[in-house]
Amino acid sequence: MNGEDLIERILREGERRADEVEVFYARGESVSTEIKKGIIGTAEESEAWSMAIRTVKDGRIGFSSTGDPDRWKECLDAALASGGLATPQQWGGFPKPANLTSTASSSDGDLVVAVEDAAGMVADLLSGAAEHPVEVVGGGANLARSYLMVANTSGVLYGMNRTVAAVSLEAIREQSTGYEFDASPFRADIDARSVGEQAASLAARSLSGRDIATGRYDVVLSPVAAASILGHVLLPALSGRNVKAGRSFLADKLGEQVFDGSLSVYDDPFAPGLGSTTWDAEGIPTRRQVFVEQGVLGRFAYDLKTGYRYGEGSTGSAVRSGGEPPGIGVHNLFVDGPRAKEPGDERAVWIHDVVGAHTANPFSGDFSVEISNPFWMEGGDLVEPIRTAMLSGNVFEMLREIGGLGKDTRRVGRLTIPSIRLNNQQIIGK
Amino acid sequence: MADVRYYDIRCVRGETTLVDIDNGVIESAGTSFFDKAVIRVLGPKGWGILTRDHVDIDSKREVNTLVEAAARLAAVTQDHLDLADAPRGVLPVPPLGEDPRDVDLEEKTRLLAGIEAAARVAGVGNTRARYTEGIDAVRFLDSSENEYSYEAVRSGFSVVAIASRNGVMQMGSERDHITTGFNLRGKQDLGRKAGEVAVSLLDAKLPKGGTKRAVLDPELAGVFTHEAVGHASEGDLVREGASVLGGRIGERIGCEGLVIVDDPTLHEFGFIPVDAEGVAVQRTEIIRDGILSSFLHNRETLAAVGNGIPGHARSEHGAPPIVRMSNTFIENGNAMYDEILSECKDGILLIGSRGGQVDPGRGVFQFNAEYGYLIEGGETTDMVRDVSLSGEILSTLHNIALVGNDRKMSPGYCGKGGQSVPVSDGAPHLLLENATIGGRGE
Repeated sequence: MNGEDLIERILREGERRADEVEVFYARGESVSTEIKKGIIGTAEESEAWSMAIRTVKDGRIGFSSTGDPDRWKECLDAALASGGLATPQQWGGFPKPANLTSTASSSDGDLVVAVEDAAGMVADLLSGAAEHPVEVVGGGANLARSYLMVANTSGVLYGMNRTVAAVSLEAIREQSTGYEFDASPFRADIDARSVGEQAASLAARSLSGRDIATGRYDVVLSPVAAASILGHVLLPALSGRNVKAGRSFLADKLGEQVFDGSLSVYDDPFAPGLGSTTWDAEGIPTRRQVFVEQGVLGRFAYDLKTGYRYGEGSTGSAVRSGGEPPGIGVHNLFVDGPRAKEPGDERAVWIHDVVGAHTANPFSGDFSVEISNPFWMEGGDLVEPIRTAMLSGNVFEMLREIGGLGKDTRRVGRLTIPSIRLNNQQIIGK
Repeated sequence: MADVRYYDIRCVRGETTLVDIDNGVIESAGTSFFDKAVIRVLGPKGWGILTRDHVDIDSKREVNTLVEAAARLAAVTQDHLDLADAPRGVLPVPPLGEDPRDVDLEEKTRLLAGIEAAARVAGVGNTRARYTEGIDAVRFLDSSENEYSYEAVRSGFSVVAIASRNGVMQMGSERDHITTGFNLRGKQDLGRKAGEVAVSLLDAKLPKGGTKRAVLDPELAGVFTHEAVGHASEGDLVREGASVLGGRIGERIGCEGLVIVDDPTLHEFGFIPVDAEGVAVQRTEIIRDGILSSFLHNRETLAAVGNGIPGHARSEHGAPPIVRMSNTFIENGNAMYDEILSECKDGILLIGSRGGQVDPGRGVFQFNAEYGYLIEGGETTDMVRDVSLSGEILSTLHNIALVGNDRKMSPGYCGKGGQSVPVSDGAPHLLLENATIGGRGE
């Protein structure tokens, strides 16, 4: 039985036993080639199939998922049993079909999921890396195509294609390492040779870094470092569920100036990106959401469940990962603002990446991390490597007054972000 | 199939039960099902690997088709690798004290709610608890006619409490996971502890960053062992040239008497009865008396690198096996806890873990404590929060001045190559000289 027929069967069977039923179906294929000893060591091909069922009965939401089509009945029973235990809540129903007029580009018709193409991308990565005197110690290329569907007993039946092309390379020279990566729905966006060259350049240029003394310095976070630190702290603070549960630093600050007046933060599901979509993981039409406009906090993100519970309404922000129930997330989050001041004019510590961003305190925003590939930056150029150090700070405090945004905007996962200059930050030397 | 030097198939079919309670509301409580298979073929050069949902391992025809497809993938590889011979054998899985499958979901939910409620001490504004149970039925077969199957049962929970006052928010969290039965009974104390830590952190100071003496509690010292030594001793990183420990077998990298071990046979959270390539598991002393003595290996890294012990291949459901840690720890020394504090004199005591990360090629690691105390004149004084520690693998083990006699293991999950596997880490209390402490205090 194919996915579409099975969805219909589950909806009809579930409808007899619950008020409402929803099915989320995903199938996909991907290939990847992995670098070992500077050449291709492993080639992998995956096929995945999964189905997640939600049932609602008297405001009680049940959930189960399965990777085995033969176990759909067991899965439906488990969803209903799970609903029997959930705390009942305000519920206004799954969405009805909407006239989706917007378009989102999340799929590349020309992308072929073929191991030969992935192998070609690895060859490009390696030729880029060969421009510097380094050893390649890891990395690879990945090509994937998937088809997602959401359907419910109110008549929604949406399907979409997604594609991903991704590359990464890790290089080393003595004890100096460099890592670079890129991912896009569009094969043509990926310049594997340049990614390889950049990773190798980081490893080669970071060699023989000088010590830095503990103290306060002006700092420039590259888009990678900024995405890493902000991703672990800012994203959870924008989730309506954390806001209503008293777990968000931003909870009581709607309408307030929370960040520097030059900073805006918005989710644009229609921009081309890894999360582009016209409907969210619950079948709600997506919208452009401006969370922070010129530093002023305007709104939070909600899914159906949290929205109904607190009378806020879904913002079309539901996302799914693995076999878990839908949760609140972002599609394509932009950190943006005028690039008035070039962030490298005055001497600063430029930081490519950080080690340990996930150990930040997501509630207070405090963090202290090890920094990777730091350089002294002068007039916008990286002039001299720094050996090693830690950076300590608070995400919410440091975004209150920034020194400027760079012109080097790039996509890092679901975030699109420029480099950010932060003045007077604490560096701990060794 | 002339181009197939070896193949294996590993299927994991099972169930995951999750209960999520947020501020007294049962957000979800239910079971999901998975059935994943990984087929690997070693071609003339390297691996061709297929991953699939729902494979019938008993169907010769299906297996043959998959092996042929994986062999076609292997044909694009260039790096020639060999597999070392390794001992075979499967350990019995630990007997279950109480089988979680005998406890209905309603009771699990009620017990978890009790732990979550216990965290709601005065001053706590938000509590959240999560129960995770995994039942894995594992089957393996390979072209050398090895075949095994076993069942793994994991049960445990985490609880988080958040206290807030005047816009300051602090968290306390506890977790406990086991492989030896059902693990929700009599655990309210851990909920209460999470709540109490969150409240006391509201008055904690931000520590001043810099170089100082540090005392690590057994949980944090376990994470230190895992990040500072464990990852860099993984044979795949060594083979690729991505570890600073490569080529250093026989070198002194730590103080005399220091013993660091990875032991998958212990009935802790990282226990495996056999590794993901069908190789027998055994205790591996990475460091013996301060000298680097063994790397952690799978069959291919043993063949390529040597100097170590195989049986350390592990994989997440539906992912290819890679070299991983299991139960990693520092063996007990002789120092009493009081002696460690008084020897430290002035420094910082670091407690609990918010996780860590390592760049094994550069030899630099970072990890974060849940909280700590200043040590002044050999006594603990003010509580501190948001404190982390970083260091360099090759120098840091020489800085261990005292090793305690009170080792404890803590369960957790470790991420590598996009895969997450259950592990445990542990150590006795440690005194560390010249530790780089990260903190925002002035």
